[in-house]
Amino acid sequence: MLAAAWLSLTANVLRSLLTMLGIFIGVASIIAIVAIGQGGTTAVVNVIESHAAQQTIEILPKELVEPGLPQPGQVLSFTEDDLQLVRQFDGVADVSYSVNGQGDVGYRGKTINANIEGGPSDLNELANFTVVQGHMYTSADWLAHRRLAVLSTSLAHKLFGNQSPVGQVIQVGGQPLQVVGVAVSNQFNFMSMFLGADTIYLPATTCTDLFPWWNISEMDVTIQPGTDKAALSKRLVTALNLHAHQADAFIDSSGFLLGLEKTIGTITTILTAVIGAVAGIALVVGGVGVMNMMLVSVSERTEEIGLRMSLGATQSDILLQFLCESVMITGCGGLLGIAFGVVASILVHALTPLPSVVSWQAAVIGFLFSMAMGVVCGLYPAYKASKLHPIDALRYE
Amino acid sequence: MIVLRHVWKTYTVGGEPLHVLRDVTLDVAAGEFVAIMGPSGSGKSTLMHILGCLDVPTRGTYHLDNQPVHEWHGRALAHVRNRDIGFVFQHFHLLPRMTALRNVELPMIYAGRPRAERRRQARQLLAQVGMEERAHHYPNQLSGGQRQRVAIARALANGPRLLLADEPTGALDSATGRGILELFRQLNQQGMTIVMITHDPSVAAAAHRIVHLVDGRVADPERVD
Repeated sequence: MLAAAWLSLTANVLRSLLTMLGIFIGVASIIAIVAIGQGGTTAVVNVIESHAAQQTIEILPKELVEPGLPQPGQVLSFTEDDLQLVRQFDGVADVSYSVNGQGDVGYRGKTINANIEGGPSDLNELANFTVVQGHMYTSADWLAHRRLAVLSTSLAHKLFGNQSPVGQVIQVGGQPLQVVGVAVSNQFNFMSMFLGADTIYLPATTCTDLFPWWNISEMDVTIQPGTDKAALSKRLVTALNLHAHQADAFIDSSGFLLGLEKTIGTITTILTAVIGAVAGIALVVGGVGVMNMMLVSVSERTEEIGLRMSLGATQSDILLQFLCESVMITGCGGLLGIAFGVVASILVHALTPLPSVVSWQAAVIGFLFSMAMGVVCGLYPAYKASKLHPIDALRYE
Repeated sequence: MIVLRHVWKTYTVGGEPLHVLRDVTLDVAAGEFVAIMGPSGSGKSTLMHILGCLDVPTRGTYHLDNQPVHEWHGRALAHVRNRDIGFVFQHFHLLPRMTALRNVELPMIYAGRPRAERRRQARQLLAQVGMEERAHHYPNQLSGGQRQRVAIARALANGPRLLLADEPTGALDSATGRGILELFRQLNQQGMTIVMITHDPSVAAAAHRIVHLVDGRVADPERVD
């Protein structure tokens, strides 16, 4: 039966190939689109989850993550009481805080306005820095409120040119600080797009000594291993809100990221579905082509159908024969489409920054769908063939 | 073998009934070689279709081997055509994309016989009609007479008891036609019942008996030797 179907299809190779084209394009584009869509989602989710997997909880005043620039006077600040409160919770290993603002950094008469970031004691491990010269400040420096600083590469270049800044003394907020290192942050920070890359990193303790009036804008809670991070974060945020007498004052930034992850996932799913639907239209057009070709084939082969009936073919034999042919056409189109879709998504992956992941589920569904298309579009022509009257069919010459 | 009683075939053309066969009664005994003769429009093709179970009578009865085939439909008739009847057509009707061997196998596929058996049987039949050398030729590589021999081998594939031939020499020159008739005579001598339609008296002369059909009625039977 399959051999007979193959024989009929190869009787007119060009026509069979052209008929396959519609199914081929439909399946290929669905495979490629789903691959790119899933790849994109996976990439975004990976970035966010790697962030969420850290053993720290970042708590921020909610205004900082809300749309619009916060009004400085309204942004809540953490107090020493808040830090003490958090330290008492089970599962909390350590609490540190971050302070940041802007100020003048001076060296030998040159003054540059830079971001000043007072970071936690373990900044080195947290923020993924590449140290270019010298070293980062240490937790001992943090504990001792030492007057030292690390410069970002761009700030170091502006202040010192090609000279090494390590060991030099700069002026920050009218106080002398010794430069111990030059580093560049590997973490993408969208604030730097607005504030520029000129940054000076120093221990948060030192920073509050220099600028006691600055808000403590971020609390970094290191948790003990094996602690339920989500539950602890919820308890901490609730306690801090109670303490501040505001229902919605603080937020866990990783929770914010998880929300973002869901939103991005939804958006990519919708986009994939919409573009997939367009590709589905190509598939339907292809199916109509298959049906058309099968109808032509049935009327061309009326004599053959009559002969087969006179030799003892039943109606279901004829029906099956034509169904086999149309399923073989769409099945071949589907297989070629899958192959092309896989190649296309590999090329997209290799040549563009778009990640793409071909899922075997999409391939299997694409193949089954194209076979189903063959059944649906072949059914009417095959039925028509099987209902031919043998003598009319034989007389057809 | 064939028992046809008071068979009518009526078509409705433009609201008017058109009687193509009128009260045809015909008996063909097993082992006979009968020719049906008649001018065009006499209804001989329609009679052939009814005998071949390709069509059913409007009225009357048809028993083939004591089976009441006039009561049967669809699948049962397909089965009778497949097992009990072999057809030979004027224009051969070989499938052009298949070799002679595959063409002969075709009825055996519908009979559900296994591949090896089909192959063996088809080779044997081609040998019987003198075509074993051409088993792997395609129809367009064969002459008209050779094609008809392949078609006869195909008609014999499932060991039918009745061979129906519709103008089997109509598309052949007279020498080749004589060869085909000789083959029919051999088959008949081996016990095959043959009913052949023709309008050519010299071809009909090959048969034992000639049935004349005029305006859908059987004229007086005539005996030939």
